[in-house]
Amino acid sequence: MPQLALDNVRALDLTNGIAGGYCAKMLADYGAEVIRVEPPAPAAEKYPDIDRAARAALNLHLNTNRKSVTLDLEMERGRELLFDLATRCDVIVESMRPGTVEGLGIGYETLAERRPQIVMTSVTPFGQTGPYRHWSYTELTLFAMTGAMHREGLPNRNPLKYGGEIAQYFGGTAAAAATMSALVGAAMTGLGDWIDISILECMAGHPHQIGRRAPFAYSGEPDLRIEPRTSSAGGREPYAVGTFRCKDGYVSFLPLGPRMWPNIAHMIDRPDLMSDQRFLSPQDRTDSRAELESVFQAWLDQRTRMEVFDAAQRAGLPGGPVLEALEVVDNEHFRERGYFQKMDHPDYGALHYTGLPFTLSDAPRSQPSPAPRAGAHSRRILTGMLGVSENEMTALIDQGITSDG
Amino acid sequence: MANDNVCAAGQGPLSGIRALELAEIWAGPFCGCVLGDLGAEVIKVEAIQRIARGSIKPPPHASGYPDSDPGERPWNRSGAFNALSRNKLGITLDLTTPRGADVFRELVSVSDVVFTNYAFGVMDKFGLGWEELRRVKPDLIALFTPGYGNTGPYRTFRSMGMVIDAITGHTALRGYPDMDLSRNSLVHHPDAVAGATAVFAICLAIHNRIRTGRGQFIDLSQAESFMPHLGEVYLEHGLMGRPRSRRGNRHPAMAPHGAYRCAGDDQWVTISVSSDEEWRRMCATMQMPQLAHNPKFETLPARLRSQDELDEVISRWTRQMSRYHVANTLQEHGIAAGPVLDCGGDAYDDPHLQDRGYFQVVDHPDAGIHLMSGPIWKMANRCEVRHEPAPGLGEHNELALGDLLGLSHSALVELEATQVIGSVPLEGADMGGVRRAAQRGLRSAGD
Repeated sequence: MPQLALDNVRALDLTNGIAGGYCAKMLADYGAEVIRVEPPAPAAEKYPDIDRAARAALNLHLNTNRKSVTLDLEMERGRELLFDLATRCDVIVESMRPGTVEGLGIGYETLAERRPQIVMTSVTPFGQTGPYRHWSYTELTLFAMTGAMHREGLPNRNPLKYGGEIAQYFGGTAAAAATMSALVGAAMTGLGDWIDISILECMAGHPHQIGRRAPFAYSGEPDLRIEPRTSSAGGREPYAVGTFRCKDGYVSFLPLGPRMWPNIAHMIDRPDLMSDQRFLSPQDRTDSRAELESVFQAWLDQRTRMEVFDAAQRAGLPGGPVLEALEVVDNEHFRERGYFQKMDHPDYGALHYTGLPFTLSDAPRSQPSPAPRAGAHSRRILTGMLGVSENEMTALIDQGITSDG
Repeated sequence: MANDNVCAAGQGPLSGIRALELAEIWAGPFCGCVLGDLGAEVIKVEAIQRIARGSIKPPPHASGYPDSDPGERPWNRSGAFNALSRNKLGITLDLTTPRGADVFRELVSVSDVVFTNYAFGVMDKFGLGWEELRRVKPDLIALFTPGYGNTGPYRTFRSMGMVIDAITGHTALRGYPDMDLSRNSLVHHPDAVAGATAVFAICLAIHNRIRTGRGQFIDLSQAESFMPHLGEVYLEHGLMGRPRSRRGNRHPAMAPHGAYRCAGDDQWVTISVSSDEEWRRMCATMQMPQLAHNPKFETLPARLRSQDELDEVISRWTRQMSRYHVANTLQEHGIAAGPVLDCGGDAYDDPHLQDRGYFQVVDHPDAGIHLMSGPIWKMANRCEVRHEPAPGLGEHNELALGDLLGLSHSALVELEATQVIGSVPLEGADMGGVRRAAQRGLRSAGD
């Protein structure tokens, strides 16, 4: 009977941001036992009503499949229990400011002395070294510094962030990959590792950034914001590149070069344009892009997103509908693949959660569990795994060192 | 935790793992260079019948080539290609011929991993689908990552990162809130996410194989690997009953939160203030303490209401100074601020990336010496990872097919004479998709 892929891995989740949290989630979603340590009394929000749903949504999303233990790390006994817990884990994912884990008594060197195969993944915005290592950050700060923001938006306006928390999730995915590679190394050699993830560096090494940086290094090619429909690559059928309005919303297209001109002409039921003297060469079509765009747009205006999608596929053209969040959940393809997982949460009810980023032929999908309340597993883990007596457990709760969620 | 030891390629947590890359554009090639960084031996398999290394006959003075000179072998001098091909070996094989596919099977029999981002069905058309690969190497790990995955109604659909960006809901969140979505930029970020996720997936499968002795097939949908990066957005829609609106650079719980113009041409700094306390510190830093007591800006709800005016006040301050000066000054007071940097000179000049040794001098035999991007993370117990230059087209044919598979010199000559392998692209090799090449192959095989 196949087992969950990572059911022989135990990880400690000491993260408080998206990148570290997503790294821990990837391990948890594939079957690792991931124990999240949280403070017993979280700091109160000054404006609890502002952005409340978004905060709840983020917690629900990031903390699926977790066990939650609360520990007050300001207290010596809290730190002792943390150490005991850490030395029973294969992986520590932490996102505290550089130097903090050492202060808590669970620095990599200390843990590796006890457990050489341990893997510690430190996920921080700028890494453990370098002049910005103590800088404050938000998604906006990071995204700006990675190179991606400078070319997002229009040339005469301010550069733009993407939607969502893109840099942090990308850093988290890289952190999970690094962690997994170190687990392979540990399984082969018995020696784990301490991984220094700088979200900035992950995004600076993002394929699009290195793909843009090399032409600069080779020939000084600048990396600029450009107007839509003016493909910088030239001759890539620019009148049909990008996002377009249609009858009930928007659609996006990316034809793969001049060889797709016949596909486009057939899709819009205008094969006659292929023999039109004005549109013969790629350069002709780039020069006449405004005219072609209006023909293209007139065809789009008569059709819904799904009609356009269907026509694009029949014509062999990469194109698709711009969907809003719940339309994605409801999409026929993702439904057919059983991608979104409907889960009931005692506080938030039934919601659709994103599923696994990939599936494995030789390991079953785990039965997902929703984000636990803080401290939901304190008792089971402190008494069951660490051998804390019931009497001490009561005392720990009384002293506020832990809580029973 | 820096480790000053530099060591040869092939050392790292994936030492001893051999992976075959059948990949183009972003997702697959990025996975390959990270596996290479980790010490795996990555063999990139291309074909002289069709190459994705830019045009094979670019115009003279084309940009993106060293000194804007495509040279005699432009396919070995493309900046974007070379950047995405570090730490790999490169061979050519025409998989549309029975002999090419046979040689590939021999390679599979001595490999651990095969990964591809070819469109759905291409590997089957080569006769190299999962069942066949597994027959050749029972404990093989294979990862196929078409845009929509390997099952479901859209599995055969043409897709690019830009389209995945649309269908997953990200495009609807991007752009200037006062403009139509048709003014949005082209964003292909899901490709990159698929590439990074593929590294995780392959390492996970290797880890699993150590325990079970079994390989497996990994179905990685580029869309589905990206969707968790927007996970809270779907849940928020469910909780609120309406979709998240577009925000541009703004944030519903932080103000100021934006990009502000600085002195110079197209120079910007981003600033995010996440509490009233930070706002008071920012006012002190701007030497405008009276602003902290202005009721229009005093509390977060007030600042969220007066954002246009707030942005004006901040812009008046920032535009006198350089973006680095603003960022450094605010960061000294614990406020999240950072310059907007481009991928060219700005990144190279950044003191932090320099201090961490992110860039490396790379000497490429066909492209010359340049400062190139290094690996994306550091591991304390491993040697420093070098950026070994991208392979030339077919550069390692002899190494992989001769030394590794034991093909004789005359066999290699025969393969070259029949154009199964080679190091110069054939006429028209940069035309046509993989799918078309596969169809052409089936026809030539009399199918």
